[in-house]
Amino acid sequence: MRKKQKVKGIKMEKLKDEIASIFKEIKVNIAQDTKLIISAKKEQVLNLLRFLKDKGYNHLALISCVDWIEEKEFELVYILGSYLEKGGKGHIILKTRIHRKKPKFKTIIPIFENAEPYEREIHELFGVDFEGHPRLTHLFLERDYKIPPFRKDFDTREYVKEVFEKIPFVEDKK
Amino acid sequence: MKTERELELYFGPQHIGMVGNFSITLKVEGDRIIEASANPGYLHRGFEKLMEYRTWIQNFPMVCRINVIEPDSMEMVYAMAVEKLAKIEVPERANYIRTIVLELARLTSHLFGCWAYANMLGFDTVAQWAMYHRDLLLDLFEELTGARVYHIYIWPGGVRRDIPKGFKDRVLNTLHTIGSCIPDYDNTFFNNRLFYKRAKNIGKISKDEAKKLGATGQILRAAGIKYDIRKVEPYAVYDKVNFEIPTREDGDAYSRVWVIRDEMIQSVHIIMQCFEKMPQGEVYNRVPNPFKWKIPKGETYVRVESSRGELGLYLVSNGEDKPYRVHFRTPSYPHGLIILEKLLKNASIADVGNIMISLYVVAPEIDR
Repeated sequence: MRKKQKVKGIKMEKLKDEIASIFKEIKVNIAQDTKLIISAKKEQVLNLLRFLKDKGYNHLALISCVDWIEEKEFELVYILGSYLEKGGKGHIILKTRIHRKKPKFKTIIPIFENAEPYEREIHELFGVDFEGHPRLTHLFLERDYKIPPFRKDFDTREYVKEVFEKIPFVEDKK
Repeated sequence: MKTERELELYFGPQHIGMVGNFSITLKVEGDRIIEASANPGYLHRGFEKLMEYRTWIQNFPMVCRINVIEPDSMEMVYAMAVEKLAKIEVPERANYIRTIVLELARLTSHLFGCWAYANMLGFDTVAQWAMYHRDLLLDLFEELTGARVYHIYIWPGGVRRDIPKGFKDRVLNTLHTIGSCIPDYDNTFFNNRLFYKRAKNIGKISKDEAKKLGATGQILRAAGIKYDIRKVEPYAVYDKVNFEIPTREDGDAYSRVWVIRDEMIQSVHIIMQCFEKMPQGEVYNRVPNPFKWKIPKGETYVRVESSRGELGLYLVSNGEDKPYRVHFRTPSYPHGLIILEKLLKNASIADVGNIMISLYVVAPEIDR
């Protein structure tokens, strides 16, 4: 068991050094258990994703978005795994920050085709525009919101009071 | 180009061939589908947002409701993420019990899947058997956890309580009852000529396409790729038990259902080994007072192999008593949205239910 883990560690370390040497001004950490956490600038993300895909991390597991409201930034998180049977174990978390005001980012569909529904979801729930995305239409919600509902300044309870408490009871209508 | 013969057809959310509350808008010409667009959202309850308003422990009853059919792996993935952020150790015995619970849950889920698929094809007898056998397993869950469907049994730091006396015998007894029916299942369903004719070459997906579209679980394994999180990134005690990953080559509905059947047998092997190897000891490491429990700053992504594929959770803590951001990566999400749309192209209307159920999609998992 112990031997196996050692091999994994070296592999991740190699990849870490390689990334650090190719991409300038980048933060790379190895977290516990075969996980690589990369914080990149937004201009580097597309190239990094292409680079990692060539290295064998060819499975885009998830795109997530975190609203850091105090820092006035959104954080886009790309999580990559690998379909390789041997080696390439563990996964990579790639993070980048974009401005909260008029948030915009490039779509990654040309690199990972399955990014389409994830980007659509983030567009709907956080209001991030993905340039080049073929259909940024509603996915889950049926109406438009003033503030996209998964942002931190959207108060669920306030919204319920505002919208649903105005609707009169059926008995009152008569 | 829109021709005069083109027609728009709404399939679901209320349709016999539909699994749960989900709908597909089809563009058809004759009975050929030109274009399909999945239309989820009928079960969007905003769980991920609601979880930001509740404490770490209060979220447990909500987590299991994301996947109605197999709630245990949802609990497992959330418990694992919390443990990782709070750096809590899990006792060895609890890990074994967790594995047993997860595999029992996989069995219930797969039997439910067999029910759905057999029912859709008109094999009513087989469907009733599968439902009956699933119910026997739910009885075991009731004894162990006090609940039949939403167990809330796996907990940060272990499991809620130890297994009761004589539980092992009852589990093995039930598994024996189900296992003795495998020849009957095979004769009436899996080796049936009708099933072969109805499912062969339906919803076919190639190796490369499955990889490109982010498939996991049965869809990937039926296309010939041996990929299982239990082997790639072992959790609980999956690195201590022997089991195989069943695969097929064709990537059609027929192969997917056969992979499900073979996986059930592997699950039984895992459960038997766990009972054999299980040590004595504690099953629960105490966590701090749940009402004042603050988890240090950090983020993590954990993943488990649920009965449908890779189930992941991206969890961010702000150092508060509530999560800052929760995002589930559910296996049905790519399967039900992007892969379904692709497979439905050029299929016939009669095959929509067939393809959809063979993809093993659970609607509440997509919407969350």
